[in-house]
Amino acid sequence: MANHRADEKRFLDDRGTHSITTPNGLNPATIMEKPVRERIIECFYWKAYCFALNECDIVTRVVEDVNFIGGTIGDSQAPSPFLCLVFKLLQLSPSHDIILSYLNYGGEKFKYLRALACFYVRLTYRAKDVYELLEPFLGDWRKLRRKGRDGGSRLTFLDEFVDGLLTKERMCSTALVKMVNRVVLEDLDQLEPRVSSLGDIEALLEESDGEIEEGENGRGEERGDGSESTPEVTEKNGDGRNGWSRNSKAPTPEAIEE
Amino acid sequence: MAEKKGAYDVAASDTDFRKKYDRAEYAEKAQKREAEEKEERKLRYEAKLAGKKYYKPMTGEEEFTQARHNIIDVSSKVGKIELMGAGAATGKKGKGAGNYCADCDLTFKDNMQWVEHINSMQHLRAVGQSGEVKRATTEEVMQRIDELWEKKEEEKRGNVMSVAERLEIRAEEDEKAREERRMKRQKMMERKREEKGKDVKIKKEYGEDVRVEGEHDEDDMMASMGITGFGTSKK
Ligand SMILES: [Zn+2]
Repeated sequence: MANHRADEKRFLDDRGTHSITTPNGLNPATIMEKPVRERIIECFYWKAYCFALNECDIVTRVVEDVNFIGGTIGDSQAPSPFLCLVFKLLQLSPSHDIILSYLNYGGEKFKYLRALACFYVRLTYRAKDVYELLEPFLGDWRKLRRKGRDGGSRLTFLDEFVDGLLTKERMCSTALVKMVNRVVLEDLDQLEPRVSSLGDIEALLEESDGEIEEGENGRGEERGDGSESTPEVTEKNGDGRNGWSRNSKAPTPEAIEE
Repeated sequence: MAEKKGAYDVAASDTDFRKKYDRAEYAEKAQKREAEEKEERKLRYEAKLAGKKYYKPMTGEEEFTQARHNIIDVSSKVGKIELMGAGAATGKKGKGAGNYCADCDLTFKDNMQWVEHINSMQHLRAVGQSGEVKRATTEEVMQRIDELWEKKEEEKRGNVMSVAERLEIRAEEDEKAREERRMKRQKMMERKREEKGKDVKIKKEYGEDVRVEGEHDEDDMMASMGITGFGTSKK
């Protein structure tokens, strides 16, 4: 298998001749908008930390550098490490097995790795696969920090982020390519009707209400050292919050539809 | 070989000690070099036509380029004074103030320029790298995930330890501070006691002094006015 280039020049130079087409039929070099791409390759983080990365180093960089989700931020519209690493993934276009290891094996350990891989899947996979790969994570309620254009931090959750990927048109300064509606794919028998991984919807709503309040109260401590270790520990020990490992044997399965 | 020769059988010319030059070999070398130079000119020309930069062709022994871990090591320079030659401050060539690349003998003023340099093909070739990055396998990715997880767990355990340690150290420091305060207090008490003792002693001495009524009064008064005697022999 061909190796990668350390920098992005060949990736961006390729005008269709040698470039790989993503499963959803796009040129990975043009999935992000041009101004965003230019900001990424001109920023210090890209030059200093994204040079010569391979599929392993992506994991290291996510674990060490990513502590929030976001696109371009602040007056200077500086691209977030998260966005830079999405762009690097587009350049590397890792094998499907590696994407699965980011999503599942690595994603259970490192929530931002799962978020990154989800974003990549949304940008490059066919609609059917996006639904199938991402929907299980609508039960992953781990906390994430998110920064908006204005630079302000906000609390969000992995399931909320994934829901955004499935329903919104733009996220993290990137236009999300339009997907065929789930119902259409169901009618075409390409997708099974979605079985909620969450079980009793009433209990879920109550729980998530409490979760949000808790989150708002805890917001002050969100700032600071940026360590998310505590929530992760409790999840790892997985008492009541293990909803994110898909539980298809839920007592009262209910289809959630848009 | 069969022919026997004495030590002096061969008529040695007096230039035999000189190194023998193989004309043919040298001609061949020169030809080869010329060909290489011609090839390089051609490649340079082609690169220029294509609007690209020319780099020496790779030998095939280059290593893969790998992700760096410490990109900028400023800490190694903290507190150190570097002496620069008088002409060092101008241009990138040679060693000057800033980030110096020993492989390329160039100096860069800021981190951005420095990073751009160490990413450049020119630099990569200078350090014998191809600019190619080895593709990772799924197993390697899994392994990296495990390593990072293990590291994180380790740090967590380390942090717990250090909290306990910090508490211990804090307790020790508190004890030390208390001890110090105690010592201080003791010293102060001692000094006070000493001073008191001195006072008593002085008074005692004074008291023992046989005073003639009125004799010292004048002296005392004058002393209090800053006058000490008029050169009288009295005293
Ligand atoms: Zn260099």
